[in-house]
Amino acid sequence: MSKFVDRPRYLCALSGAIGTINALPGGVPILHAAAGCGGNIGNALNAGAGYLGSGYCSGQSLPSSNVYENEIVFGGELRLQEQVENTLKVIDGELYFVVTGCMVEMIGDDTNSVVKKFKNHDKPVLSAETGGFKGNSYKGYDIILETLFREFVKKTDEKNSKVVNLWGIVPVQDVFWKGNIKILKTLIEKLGYKVNTFFGDGETLDNLRDSGEAILNIVVSDIYGIEPAKVFEEEHNVPYISVQFPIGTYATEDFINAIADRLGIDKKFTDKLIYDEKKQFYSYFERLADIYNDIDLQRYAVIVGEVNYAQALTKFLADDLGWLPELVVITDLLNDTDGYKDIIKSRFTNYISEFTPNVVFDTDTSSVKKHLNKIWKQNDGSKYYDGFNPAFILGSAFERDLADDLGVPHLSVTYPISNRIVLDRAYAGFNGALSLTEDILSVLVNGR
Amino acid sequence: MDYIREKAPPVREDRLKACNAFGGSCCELGNQSKKGCLNGIKRTFAQTQGCQLNLSLAILNTLRDVVIVVHAPIGCGGSSVAVAGISKGFKRLRDPYAKGLIWLNTNLDEADVINGGEEKLREAVLFAENEFRPSAIVVANSCAPAIIGDDVDGVLSQLQSQITAKIVPVHCEGFKTKIMASAYDAVYHGILRNLLRKDDDEENKIIEDDLELIKEQYRVSRTVNILNVSSMSIFDEKELRKTLEGLGLKVNFLPCYSHPDDFERVEEAALNVSICATHDDYFVEHLKEKYGIPFVLRSIPIGIKNTNKWILDVAKFFRIDEEAQRYIDSETRELEKAIEPFKKVLEGKTAFLAGGEMRVLGTADVLHSLGIKVLGMKGYHYDKFGDDLLDELPENEKVIFNVATGQPFEQANLLESLKPDIYVGHIGGNGWAAKHGVPVFPIFGQAVNYMGYGGVYEIARRLARLIRNPIFNKNLSNYTKLPYFDKWYKEDPFKYIDDSFLKN
Repeated sequence: MSKFVDRPRYLCALSGAIGTINALPGGVPILHAAAGCGGNIGNALNAGAGYLGSGYCSGQSLPSSNVYENEIVFGGELRLQEQVENTLKVIDGELYFVVTGCMVEMIGDDTNSVVKKFKNHDKPVLSAETGGFKGNSYKGYDIILETLFREFVKKTDEKNSKVVNLWGIVPVQDVFWKGNIKILKTLIEKLGYKVNTFFGDGETLDNLRDSGEAILNIVVSDIYGIEPAKVFEEEHNVPYISVQFPIGTYATEDFINAIADRLGIDKKFTDKLIYDEKKQFYSYFERLADIYNDIDLQRYAVIVGEVNYAQALTKFLADDLGWLPELVVITDLLNDTDGYKDIIKSRFTNYISEFTPNVVFDTDTSSVKKHLNKIWKQNDGSKYYDGFNPAFILGSAFERDLADDLGVPHLSVTYPISNRIVLDRAYAGFNGALSLTEDILSVLVNGR
Repeated sequence: MDYIREKAPPVREDRLKACNAFGGSCCELGNQSKKGCLNGIKRTFAQTQGCQLNLSLAILNTLRDVVIVVHAPIGCGGSSVAVAGISKGFKRLRDPYAKGLIWLNTNLDEADVINGGEEKLREAVLFAENEFRPSAIVVANSCAPAIIGDDVDGVLSQLQSQITAKIVPVHCEGFKTKIMASAYDAVYHGILRNLLRKDDDEENKIIEDDLELIKEQYRVSRTVNILNVSSMSIFDEKELRKTLEGLGLKVNFLPCYSHPDDFERVEEAALNVSICATHDDYFVEHLKEKYGIPFVLRSIPIGIKNTNKWILDVAKFFRIDEEAQRYIDSETRELEKAIEPFKKVLEGKTAFLAGGEMRVLGTADVLHSLGIKVLGMKGYHYDKFGDDLLDELPENEKVIFNVATGQPFEQANLLESLKPDIYVGHIGGNGWAAKHGVPVFPIFGQAVNYMGYGGVYEIARRLARLIRNPIFNKNLSNYTKLPYFDKWYKEDPFKYIDDSFLKN
């Protein structure tokens, strides 16, 4: 049985669905839900995701059936039909997507049947059940992708050997999603492939519609987007590979090698690419030789956040930056039975630096300090005490309180990020690692 | 008014016949409102809005030394991330040791909506008690447990005997009302039932002698509770406090940023003073019923005229209206002179306003005194408390009033035809107005003074600054598109408001 969460770092499936549809070019969500669902979600998506804003048709503009007591008693299907009809008259979209909240599912509204009546509209109108009790934001992302793959992506037997699809970076939950997608797409393009990312710069709905021609789906996660990848394989006969979200030279090298292996790319070609990228990376990174060593910029670190970032940040800190990321708290809603926890734990082993972090799964914000107290001996009043300093916390805006308590600096890089403005910043790959280094070390030299 | 024995308050549709869908002139709105026939109008196309739970949290999140338990599936209360970062700072303006915002979500999942969520609620409350030892644990109930029939009050009253924190259930299930402002009643209801001194409480003050007793009675007889709102700032509080203390009164602020224990002393005042009738009527009526404390519930101290009235209402009660009038005369003289330079640049401009009913109407008065012409207004809801302000509005037959919680599509249509020089609006709607290219002035801010005489000066000063360089939003409008078909702008902005039931 799941339990309560102390300050959750995600919302519900409906929220994930809305964030995902908004990230599609011309995507218009239509909520079949109680009135407050969209209001709550709009505020969270904006403030939690580095001030993402209301986008094309999110925030207060979200079309919504706003069901009340009357519909809860008598059913909301008529109200939904009216709402969809009128949305199609007022809101200019490329793809309309009806998503449901808890209430209409609990009263048994048949949303899909209502939406089917609009199948002849000149723009597609899809629907999915995304009631909040079904899971968190990541679940909503998966549900939307699965629906798109089943109902929107065109079936084709003709595959294009130079096209791949990439997903697994969840819009909003990865606050830097757009920049990250851009970086990973560019890297794979350097391998000679066209990459559909659905949510990145320059994407069109046609790219998504035609994505069935790809020869490989690249899921940049151990858990997010995996179920949709299975659906894609079943529907369109395209296999998938799961790779870890990469930050830094070692992780990105692994990322490129894993994909290149799978695509059967000549090893010499990828070695050259990686060599060039690393050389470029170090042409900047070498600037740190002085300041890092002059003022001793090595730190202990605590990392708090979702699976994708937790493993990427930790590996980057340990293997590229030479830090000591002692504690990693993974805050996803995971159960013990699906086997994911073992896979995830294995991502924190075999570091080049031979460093081994302590990894725990815990959804609660108040737990981070408790875990730190468990792994790091408290001062018992000794004159000589090997304290947890100098240290640094990489987490969300929630970790600022912990940072204040411990008297250590902090940078928000995982959701929610309410204390930074994020536009096209990215932390993925080689280039992203440079930005991350800038952001972390800038905190440390801020007072100089 | 006495609903306190009920577990939950009535919703505002029933209690106040409040409405959230109307389009027409201010004059028509006033007439309809007085006939009591606004309630029941609906929209056939709607955009999302907040619910009672969202707005309840806006108040509850300000309380100090409290843990909030949102009994709901994992998404509800997620918008608290918008205030989690600033909450501690604002609380520390009142108490330097205040903690930041802590909330738990009971994470009801598929199994719970079948089997019930009472056990998770119990665990969450016990965790809140053991982990954080707060003075109060507020449980905000959401739609899902209400539908599955969780006995929230039963679980909580059982738990109350096991823990020291005072448990405050707040019944703010979103689907129950279209009127977000029902949240005010839901929160006050929880406070009234659980945080006030209980009738059978031992009097815990020890009065040593008659002189002290007389002193204490005198203190209470000169004390007012000002009921603050979460959209106001510490600077607003300072401004209002300064005014009333200048008249020799003692001032407490409730409920926002209060400590739960503060409510035990709510009865130690001679008068409850509201600054927003639609925010407070439920609370002050009940306090009158319970303790016999009279109240002032009329005007919002935004704008010179409204501030004057607000001060005089209080002063009359204490029979110090002559002193107050002298104070008002001297303050307004000084203020009129101070805003003169800003009037020169603002005179003749036009504006559209959006926000809470009282704040919008109050701000319209400020703009009017600066020589700005109000073309239209949007109120998040409408009830009888706006009637007086609406009547006093100059040329109110020409000014458009749109009652809409959010609904930026109606606003987009209005802005395109009215083309105001300035938009004054509410969080959530400001970004949409910006994309029309119009300079935007936020109608509230927790870091600025908006109320009282100082507020008028600040509003004038900031408006004059804002129009000096409005290019940011102009640029935005050139490169962004609003999500509406072009044909929408040619239609009746209130086309999707269905008032057919009025005509029957």
